[in-house]
Amino acid sequence: MDKVYLGIDVGSVSTNVVAIDENNRVLSKQYIRTNGQPLESVKTGIKKLKNDIDGKYKVAGVGTTGSGRQLVGIMIGADVIKNEITAHATATINYVPSANTIFEIGGQDSKIIFLDKGLITDFAMNTVCAAGTGSFLDHQAERLGIPIQQFGDYALRAQRKVRIAGRCTVFAESDMISKQQFGFSKEEIINGLCEALVRNYINNLGRGKKIRPPYVFQGGVAANAGIRAAFEKELGEQVTVPEYFDVMGALGSAILSKEYVEHTGHTTKFRGFEAADIEFTPSSFECSGCSNLCEVIKVEINGETAAMWGDKCAKWTNSVKSI
Amino acid sequence: MRVGIPRGLLYQYYYPFWKTFFEELKVEIIVSSPTTKEIVNKGIEFSVPEICVPMKVYTGHVEQIIDKVDYVFIPRMVSISDKEYFCPKFMGLPDMIKYTVPGALNKILSPKIKSDSDSIANPKFYGELKSRLGISTWDLHRALKKADKAWNNFRALSKKGYILTDALDIFEGKKVPSKEPTFKDGEVTIGILGYVYDIYDPFISMDITDKLKELNVNVLTFEMLEDQAIKDSIKFMHKKLFWTFSNKLLGAGYHFYQNPKVDGIIQVTAFNCGPDSMIGKMLELESNHFEKPFMTVRIDEHTGESHLQTRVEAFIDMIRRKKMAGGVSRESNLSPYGLNTSI
Ligand code: SF4
Ligand code: SF4
Repeated sequence: MDKVYLGIDVGSVSTNVVAIDENNRVLSKQYIRTNGQPLESVKTGIKKLKNDIDGKYKVAGVGTTGSGRQLVGIMIGADVIKNEITAHATATINYVPSANTIFEIGGQDSKIIFLDKGLITDFAMNTVCAAGTGSFLDHQAERLGIPIQQFGDYALRAQRKVRIAGRCTVFAESDMISKQQFGFSKEEIINGLCEALVRNYINNLGRGKKIRPPYVFQGGVAANAGIRAAFEKELGEQVTVPEYFDVMGALGSAILSKEYVEHTGHTTKFRGFEAADIEFTPSSFECSGCSNLCEVIKVEINGETAAMWGDKCAKWTNSVKSI
Repeated sequence: MRVGIPRGLLYQYYYPFWKTFFEELKVEIIVSSPTTKEIVNKGIEFSVPEICVPMKVYTGHVEQIIDKVDYVFIPRMVSISDKEYFCPKFMGLPDMIKYTVPGALNKILSPKIKSDSDSIANPKFYGELKSRLGISTWDLHRALKKADKAWNNFRALSKKGYILTDALDIFEGKKVPSKEPTFKDGEVTIGILGYVYDIYDPFISMDITDKLKELNVNVLTFEMLEDQAIKDSIKFMHKKLFWTFSNKLLGAGYHFYQNPKVDGIIQVTAFNCGPDSMIGKMLELESNHFEKPFMTVRIDEHTGESHLQTRVEAFIDMIRRKKMAGGVSRESNLSPYGLNTSI
């Protein structure tokens, strides 16, 4: 049986699960809304993916990334648990080897990654300000009564240019309302918003850095043609959106798991597709051991503690390792 | 008589001095506990709103011990180097505490330290203590001498490469100096830039040095360097900065850039720090010139630990991969995969 490698990216908005073969070809990709339930969404994703590949392939490695990477890594038996920056860049380097700059805009955060000859040379992340992320666009789409999927097309139809203050969501919103009152069309407002988002993104994340083409734009927001056009206009260069732009983190972690398994010769720790049926019970409690009052997270499998973290003093984390 | 020492700001740098000093004078000291959430919350409650995080944290430490002591020791740090000064917040600190922490008004001992070197043992700084603590000139001199010696021993530990927290443990006799710290060959070495009260406060820095050690990284900090080396590396500047510790960091930063052993620099800074925004920018601009990665980690009361973890991991990955690509032998322990499933 041919080998496959799984990659799982657990974010706060979506959970992506992919399977790739030994040549990094994508065999299956699943996109599930996380809805605050990372474990459930991974289970759903794994089950769907199983339908695509089970019986034909053997899982040889698993990687996880994203904010829920540790919890899910334990549940699934991951070989590699990796941060989002490395995972995203690994995928880009594989699918668009010439890339020098990666724009990644997801639902809750955004990043910029600088590459040189296939290596990361610098990066910046934004997790505090919503003005440069997908949730901001979602919110505005809702306010304007336009499905987010059509946002890009609307932007491309704009006739006139209108400048919207994009520094901050609050300003952008009030500015948008006043521009609407001036008589600008929805199309123009949306285009203005896309441009504001891009300006804001470049100012925040790219400040003081040399942004060099070729550019790659990925993450959920890359589906939006209006944003891509705004990037191209701002930079005066073509911006590539890779085929699997919305699951690059998951792809990267699958590739990393493949490299790891090949490099070390280890057999995978993957618990098998049955893992989707094992009962994992995450819980948290406030430790009263000292006045730090850490919120400690505990994961149990069939009543046995499998992992704990979140404690500043490591007394809980270590209590599990010693078992 | 009991004197309180808040475990904040320059505690990490001068505690061996202060402790020896008061012990020699037969004055009991009470040190506040390591920073906790509760201390931070109290600090926010009792400090002026727009101040930097370390000052807020310090205020919380004072609050914790104020009722248990006769005096709190808050020296007014003015200068420890010729024509350089402390960040203005230090100079105003005793006054700020006096009026913001309930019960502190008449309890503050604040000798004015205006030295031309890191040594703070000149008896003329401590005149105020003689009357308030009832000690003779002779006792004061003797205690200062002892304190200075203890402090120099402690500084020597740092220069041998001990991380400051280990050096403090050794000073307190909690840890026997094991074999001297050695650098793991072939591993990534990071220069950390930041004030002692940011880097070694487990709450403010979220134990960044431990996180790096877990990633098998060698750590260098400014207090491990010789003062002269720090000074030399910014000699080329037409004008120094006004602020002593900021100058030390800037010097250390240039030193790290020039030291071929150092693979990258992480600046740890607290939200609302004026001087740091200056040196951060200066060093960031130099990063391209020296072709060494530089990253700033800015911490405020709300910074999430997982965000910090992600950035630190990504930074180390980036350097490790580059090192590997640069032809470092694969046999050495280099794993670009970092900590795998262990968390
Ligand atoms: S986990 Fe450790 S540091 Fe956190 S509250 Fe408990 S004892 Fe304190
Ligand atoms: S140097 Fe920065 S962190 Fe330190 S006291 Fe001054 S403002 Fe605060």
